[in-house]
Amino acid sequence: MNKYINLYLLEYSINSLLRQKYKNIFITTILTFLIFILSSMFFITSSIKNELQFSVESLPEITVQKLISGKHYDIEVDRVNEILSITGVNDATARVWGYYYFVNAGVNFTLVGIEQFEKQYKDSLQNLVDSSKGFDESNAYIGQGVKEIMRKNYFKEYFNFILPDGSLKKINIGGTFKSDTNLESNDVIVLSKENMRSIYGMSEEYATDIVVKVANPDEVATVAAKIKLLYPDTRVITKNDLKVSYQNIFDYKSGVFLALFIVSLFTFFIIVFDKASGLSSSERKEIGVLKAIGWSLDDVLKEKFYEGALISVFAYLLGVFLALGFVYGFGAPLLRDIFSGYSELKTAFELPFVLDVQTMVLVFFLSVPIYIASIIIPSWRVASMDADEVMR
Amino acid sequence: MIEFKNINKSYKLGKNNTVAALKDININIKEGSVVVLKGSSGSGKSSILSLVSAISKPTSGEVIVDNKQISKLSDRFASEYRLNNIGIVFQKYNLVEDISVEQNVILPLIPKNLDSDLVESKVDTALDMFGIKHYKNSTVKNLSGGEQQRVAIARAYINEPKIIIADEPTANLDEKLSLDFIEIIKDLKKQNKTVIIATHDPLFFNLDIVDKYIEMKNGSII
Repeated sequence: MNKYINLYLLEYSINSLLRQKYKNIFITTILTFLIFILSSMFFITSSIKNELQFSVESLPEITVQKLISGKHYDIEVDRVNEILSITGVNDATARVWGYYYFVNAGVNFTLVGIEQFEKQYKDSLQNLVDSSKGFDESNAYIGQGVKEIMRKNYFKEYFNFILPDGSLKKINIGGTFKSDTNLESNDVIVLSKENMRSIYGMSEEYATDIVVKVANPDEVATVAAKIKLLYPDTRVITKNDLKVSYQNIFDYKSGVFLALFIVSLFTFFIIVFDKASGLSSSERKEIGVLKAIGWSLDDVLKEKFYEGALISVFAYLLGVFLALGFVYGFGAPLLRDIFSGYSELKTAFELPFVLDVQTMVLVFFLSVPIYIASIIIPSWRVASMDADEVMR
Repeated sequence: MIEFKNINKSYKLGKNNTVAALKDININIKEGSVVVLKGSSGSGKSSILSLVSAISKPTSGEVIVDNKQISKLSDRFASEYRLNNIGIVFQKYNLVEDISVEQNVILPLIPKNLDSDLVESKVDTALDMFGIKHYKNSTVKNLSGGEQQRVAIARAYINEPKIIIADEPTANLDEKLSLDFIEIIKDLKKQNKTVIIATHDPLFFNLDIVDKYIEMKNGSII
């Protein structure tokens, strides 16, 4: 005798489900699909949130851009020295970076220029310079997404950049560039500043912007104000501003997911409402007969619990498993674009695997107990009546 | 053993309409006896069976079985009482048609959560006793009416209850199968089971094995 699970009761529950197999297969399919959609949305959200979190953390405290009448211009490199003289500034680096549109693939790459002997403003770039193979200024180091696109376009060893005068600049591919986040490094090509300047036709006196490190995080706002005072023609962006900006984009995209989420929940509750609103006459009669032959209310409810649990737990496990495969195995086609896409202009990147237990628990509680309750409540109503009355 | 004291039972039909199914009924049934409740449809026979099996409660009066008043048992104890004391053979058998004979017969054993060996042995004994062991794994819907009735009797018998009640047991059977059923009643009587049959089948009206006839009309004993 198994004190915890009544195997005969479980067998009866399975038989009971099989007796209405088409109906139950349909319900299981719908439940699985809804759980799959919900889980996929949450998994994508978790992954991208995780990526954004890392990306934001790796940003410099202050970025200084030159603006004239609201338009972004290259900034003078010698401003770095004046910024370094501001109290509280730990380091300042003139960055040369920009986007490069690769016509053949219809995507934008992000080009980042560095100098080998300069202290890098990001750990990922410093790691590239410090790596065993080192950073060869004549080469390009490409992110995984860029590598895939170049491979498809037959650029395995080198890439031809089109210069402003229309001529080509051939640069060898020296290796792959990796950072803490896929989102950050995927579309990146790291080059020497010299190569960058020739690609953008930029003189040595200019950079794209200047990034500033501040020793004390509490002084960031003060230092930013001092820079703004020193150079009124600049826009001074703090890490906090960028966090807010990223969060706004993320929240906007979340709205689309929220709509999907609401539709999924709505569909689920329609099923639940339908189940909870009553039993068929044959289901009522069956409960009456079971009570008449000696089953108690508890026995009936236990049997119904098994029925509900078998369907909902199976649908939950299958839905979550399919969502894991869809998001992390296949890269969540269609759904991912809602969040990560600037349509085809951005290189494809892989969603990093983040096992978000909270999400899985949330989906579990949104599906399994509610479905089980929708099975148990109408059965309880019937089973608590006199068997004689139920069978009439 | 079974005693009805001043039993009244009425059913509500709609908000303001009440129908009296039993009126001031007093019955005594001895242990091991076979009792036949006679009467036309709607005379109150089935209501008496419901009260004996505690699947409904009287509006007033007392039902006493083995010196215990069962008419006021809570749902939980009423279920326990049925499980251990009552076997019911319904008019239309009320079997689960899409599962096997064995799975139907073990239904009253399920709440007891017994060891599988014991369950197997009880099932084999019951099926053997009613001559349907060879149908153990057959699906009920593939059996004839008579065979289905035997499954229903095996299900009623499996917990070895003291009281077996049958509501119009031969209503769906031909004469030969009805006579077979009477043979089964004889066997149950030999085992000292109390059998209460509600019927208007004339086959039961002059049987040696019947200890008591109770004739009913419009909810009263006549």
